[in-house]
Amino acid sequence: MKEELNNEGFIKKMFKKYYAEWRGEPPKDFKRREFAFMVSRRGDMVRHKAFEDWGEVKEFLYKNSPLHVYYSSAYYAQPSAPDMDAKEWMGADLVFDIDIDHIYTQCKEQHDKWTCLDCSVTGNGVPPEACPRCSSKKIEVKTWFCEKCLEIAKEEAIKLVEDFLVQDFGFSSHEISIVFSGRRGFHIHVESDVIRGLDQRARREIVDYVRGTGLVVQDRKRKILAAPLNAGGWPGRIAKGVYELLNSRSARILSDLKGGSKVEEAIKVIIKELEEARDYWPLEGVARKIWLKAVEEVIAHKRCEVDERVTTDIKRLIRLPETLHGGTGLRAAKVSLRDLETFDPYVHAVAFVKGEVKVKILSMPKITFLNQTWGPYSYEVVEVPMGLAVYLICSENAIVISEEVRGA
Amino acid sequence: MIIFSKLDAATYPFISLASQLVKELEESLGISAILSPESEVLRRSIERIREAVYSRITSTYKKDLDVEILSHPVALLLMKHMSNARLINVYAEAEKNRVLVNLLKEDHEKLVGLAVDGFNWHVKREKNYLLIRFDDYLRTSVNILDSRWKLVNRKLVNGYVELSRKDFSRLLAEAYRTRILERANQAMDVQVLSALKAIIEELDREFQGFLPKINTSVTYIDEYEPSALPPCILKLLEDAEQGKNLPHMARFTLATFLISIGKGPEELLDVFRKMPDFDESKTLYHLRHIAGEIGSRTRYTPPSCATLRTFNLCVADDDICQRVKHPLTYYNKKLKLLKREGLERRT
Repeated sequence: MKEELNNEGFIKKMFKKYYAEWRGEPPKDFKRREFAFMVSRRGDMVRHKAFEDWGEVKEFLYKNSPLHVYYSSAYYAQPSAPDMDAKEWMGADLVFDIDIDHIYTQCKEQHDKWTCLDCSVTGNGVPPEACPRCSSKKIEVKTWFCEKCLEIAKEEAIKLVEDFLVQDFGFSSHEISIVFSGRRGFHIHVESDVIRGLDQRARREIVDYVRGTGLVVQDRKRKILAAPLNAGGWPGRIAKGVYELLNSRSARILSDLKGGSKVEEAIKVIIKELEEARDYWPLEGVARKIWLKAVEEVIAHKRCEVDERVTTDIKRLIRLPETLHGGTGLRAAKVSLRDLETFDPYVHAVAFVKGEVKVKILSMPKITFLNQTWGPYSYEVVEVPMGLAVYLICSENAIVISEEVRGA
Repeated sequence: MIIFSKLDAATYPFISLASQLVKELEESLGISAILSPESEVLRRSIERIREAVYSRITSTYKKDLDVEILSHPVALLLMKHMSNARLINVYAEAEKNRVLVNLLKEDHEKLVGLAVDGFNWHVKREKNYLLIRFDDYLRTSVNILDSRWKLVNRKLVNGYVELSRKDFSRLLAEAYRTRILERANQAMDVQVLSALKAIIEELDREFQGFLPKINTSVTYIDEYEPSALPPCILKLLEDAEQGKNLPHMARFTLATFLISIGKGPEELLDVFRKMPDFDESKTLYHLRHIAGEIGSRTRYTPPSCATLRTFNLCVADDDICQRVKHPLTYYNKKLKLLKREGLERRT
């Protein structure tokens, strides 16, 4: 009996339930993809799997109820070959990763905690690479995904899809899918023949474009030309951004500039020029200084924070949409662009919506789950909805004490 | 739809008409006649290579277009049998220059025709600009160093990059250069007769003095000269010296770079000693791994400038930076420059 009550056993049982009725859609050309699975917490990754029939995938998921399910963004001639070279790369989707782990948010100071496993020093916010006291690298991190984090991740995803992928790169919306990562962000997949064959260097250019890396604001002779408002790409994005910024009188940059009326005058000139210009026009003197300051802020605001390593890696494994994340028990749910704004992972990505169960919660900040507020808790036995129980057990914030489920 | 002429085929060897004519001429004249020592094609091929080596730009020989059309593949064949690896690069560059000069004289319609026929580019014309689909743009633009050619500095709308006629021509010429290098090894493979062999050997000797062999393995310079270090590496060294906690990529760059210029893993320990998480045995293990002394036995090469830029480790662009794609190339160039200056001072 006691063995039945371990956390992993509980998770596996629940995951099996989920995969019994799983209806995930196959990615494009799934027969050409490598699949990989984490079957247990301590075990190795099962790699180099390939499937000829989507039914086999469903069967595999049900039989093994893995904690994590991945597939390759790449297409291979021999997806099951154990050696990467023998797989024969044929192309890859374009994938972007927006992950709060890699984006600075102020709220992390409140809900993220790290602990050095060697000397027990703890701290809030972004974990250091090594413990400041004992230099150990064994640092345990407890992170949470709060509403503010979610807002920021959504904002980045919308920017990426609308401003960059659709407007600039010209992908159509049916080529783009937005998928909740299962934890703290979104994966954006682009399946299109246009990008399939692009190599790493070309993909790096795409990432640099989206992140605004390497943008040249002034040429080698330090000359600056402003684009007209209706220009495309970054030149137009910058012109529009500066226009908006200078028009919103609250602009912080304005107070940094000394020169009083001269600055005011120059700002008016820039705004007027931007409104009237039909072609590129040069910036000089005070206007030039203001422009440079403003552009810096505009780029920081308009650029998109994606993890460059994911996009430039042409042989990446990525979570299979609609499978469960073993660290949260949440679904890697596909979200349409239209629904993204109102998407709430603690409602829409919850896989287990029925029943309640008692768990011992080790620690948890206040969170809203299934539209109800829970916590904060610390070493308490609480009866919570099954979805929240799975979430807390998967993230090692709670332990199973009873398998008695109410109302399932 | 553009109908190309024989002159076009001679001027732009990348169009399909050119390869078609090459095939036809090969069949009607016969390979042995084309490659015989008295052959006019052979004479022009050698001349073409010489033009590349001595004036860094080839010419278009219009007196006999058949000869001109055949001389390009024959030149590639000759170079395939020569020992100097740099020759093909010089030839490709010179051909690019020749093609560019000609492209700049063409109108929009012709440029579009050449790009579509030669490289299957997706191109549109809009007012005075040419629009090229971004994937076609990227495949070639990544080979051009200038930051102006980074996608982020281009107007990209609805999947198409806007280019002036001049920039479009430059991109097209660059695509041609890249193709020559890609196809250099696939050049006509025919038995080279002994008479031709002698000619090739003589040419080989002739070019030796003009094209000093490049150090193909930039990885092994084995000469440590601090004043030749590129700005990015200097910055990392400075940070390490101040005991800043460097991210993984920064450490990897520093270690691979210094190992590449002859530092041993043990010597490098001191560089990392002030890191907050320094652990002598662990660091030494990693360094020896990178140096190829243990593990997979491959010596790791430092990341390229493009990678460093992506990871925000690129700090400056002095004159040399503008001309290189790799920090080791910077080091090499600077080293030579310093030596030359030193020499001048002494004399």
